[in-house]
Amino acid sequence: MRVAWLGGICACLALAGLGLHLGVRVYAPGQVWAALTQDGRDTASIIIRDLRVPRMALAIVVGAALGLAGLLMQSVTRNPIAEPGLLGVNAGAAFAVVVLITLAPGASFVTLALVAAFGALTAAVLVFGLAYAAGGRVSPVQVLLAGVTVAALLVAGLQVLIILNEAVLEELLFWLSGSFADRPVTGLWLAIGALTLGVALALAFSGALDVLQTDAATATSLGVPVLRLRFGMLAVAALLAGVSVALAGPVAFLGLVAPHLARLCGAVRHRDLIPLSLIFGVALGLAADLVARFILFPTEAPISAVMALLGVPLLVTLLRRNRLLLA
Amino acid sequence: MTLTAKAAAPVGVLLIALFAVAIGSSFMPLDRVIAALLGAGSRADGVILWNIRLPRVLLAALSGAALAVAGLLLQRATRNPLAAPSVLGIVDGAAVGVLVFFLIFSNEANALVVSVHWQPLAAIGGALVFATTVGVLAWQDAVSPLRLLLYGVAMAAFANAIVTLMLIAGPAFRACLALIWLAGSVHTADWREVGLLSLAWCLALPVLAVLIRPLDQLRLDDQSAQSTGLNVARTRAAALLVSVLMTAAAVSVVGGIGFVGLIAPHAARLLYGSGAGPQMAGAACLGAGMVMASDLLVRAAFQPLEVPAGAVTALIGAPYFLTLLIREGHAHV
Repeated sequence: MRVAWLGGICACLALAGLGLHLGVRVYAPGQVWAALTQDGRDTASIIIRDLRVPRMALAIVVGAALGLAGLLMQSVTRNPIAEPGLLGVNAGAAFAVVVLITLAPGASFVTLALVAAFGALTAAVLVFGLAYAAGGRVSPVQVLLAGVTVAALLVAGLQVLIILNEAVLEELLFWLSGSFADRPVTGLWLAIGALTLGVALALAFSGALDVLQTDAATATSLGVPVLRLRFGMLAVAALLAGVSVALAGPVAFLGLVAPHLARLCGAVRHRDLIPLSLIFGVALGLAADLVARFILFPTEAPISAVMALLGVPLLVTLLRRNRLLLA
Repeated sequence: MTLTAKAAAPVGVLLIALFAVAIGSSFMPLDRVIAALLGAGSRADGVILWNIRLPRVLLAALSGAALAVAGLLLQRATRNPLAAPSVLGIVDGAAVGVLVFFLIFSNEANALVVSVHWQPLAAIGGALVFATTVGVLAWQDAVSPLRLLLYGVAMAAFANAIVTLMLIAGPAFRACLALIWLAGSVHTADWREVGLLSLAWCLALPVLAVLIRPLDQLRLDDQSAQSTGLNVARTRAAALLVSVLMTAAAVSVVGGIGFVGLIAPHAARLLYGSGAGPQMAGAACLGAGMVMASDLLVRAAFQPLEVPAGAVTALIGAPYFLTLLIREGHAHV
């Protein structure tokens, strides 16, 4: 497991370093170092300091937030395939944001993020509520079906809203396509705040989350307030997913793959799972940002599409290696 | 179910078809519709009816019926009443096929060098590739519903990502065309497309007729079905293949119209029982009615904007499916 920690952190550092050097313009390490340490006014310094560093920060924060959101959703529902993207939580956030942009164009980023978090939480409660109503004991199939269906419903609603309101079409399409570039930096501080809060809460309740993996009766007998813990952690996950969607658009698969990579490295207890999911989430976010710059070179590719291209093969490999996952 | 309820569905579908022909940006009363159909009406009525309304209604009916029957075959073959072509990557796979076709057969000026009539074949090819991938991935031990579903959702997302990237990389006018097509609408209908789907139906009908009895046998478990003299594996493969081909044919002309293949078979079972023959006929009828009604609704409600019919089938279909999931999900999954 120590190898996993080291490997994950090294991967993050390497990817972050590459992200500063590579792009439409490629810079040598000396130039990057000079741009970061000196207050230069040349093109290289401006590109690196004002464009590449902010998007690197964004990729780190969004990757970490989605990795943690995925882990929390999986742990709370004891469902290996829970994830904001697949289960319609991102779609809920996106729908809420589109409604806000339609009704009140030009809303501040803080409003946008809060509305997105509210939409994410509503969708999460809806999906898990429906799946619970369907099965009593919630099975992954029902959750996935309910999530995919709620997502389809919200996307259809989005289509109608966008067609009815062509004035905001461009703003919406830009935002829905998702990217780490050219996003408002003011939002970053809010996202960092939300992430810190989420990590602190998750770590504080990591013992309770471990107990929750047994079953509800055992957890109750051990003094864990099961229902409150589940709803609370789901709310934290929704907040993280909502802020990510508000910042970078709907990104799927990252939240699914990061926790499974952490489990693959042998992490079982949440004390280890939480930081490892964060690290792998950051690595995936940085990798996706790097790929997004080159896959359609010189055009920038949307991060959601890149994440699906990276995440699906990873997911398929994980599923085929670990059959127990879906037993 | 009483006879009235059974008869009500086809009559209702016919009424929807009549309304769909009559209602549009210019309303045409029934007598004028009939006159124009017989070739006796005014010239304008004739043009509207024969060039615009009729192909549109026929295309909606043919594609809806094809999607419904494809969904039925898929559900029977996987013994999973909640399986649907749209969540198994078939629709997005068809889209990838079409975009790859455009990419390969364009010259430097982005003009197609081969006839656009080959586009449906490209859609079918893409759908087959992605459906086969999902099938092969899920074929461990036995096809478990969760595996099939998860791989299907994942491959659909994968295909969707490829589509997004290709749209960005390609010329802007193609992105516009493709986006309209992908959203699933019938408002660009012409007789060529109607002819194509009719041809697909002509090819599918004999196969479907042969498949009805094996499909009834397939309702038993594998061992019992085998003891009635059925080649289970071959029947299942044939049903899946026909399902993919019919979905792809429909998607290649009308785009991603979702939830029809999921809901029409279920509603048909409620109305006509679970015998394969009546259920299939009922599903085709209800599927046709569903797409025609959705198209009629967007025409009547959002004039003069063209909201895709696929959005309406999703807005109606998703809640129906969710109640279905709540009511009988645990019994089957």
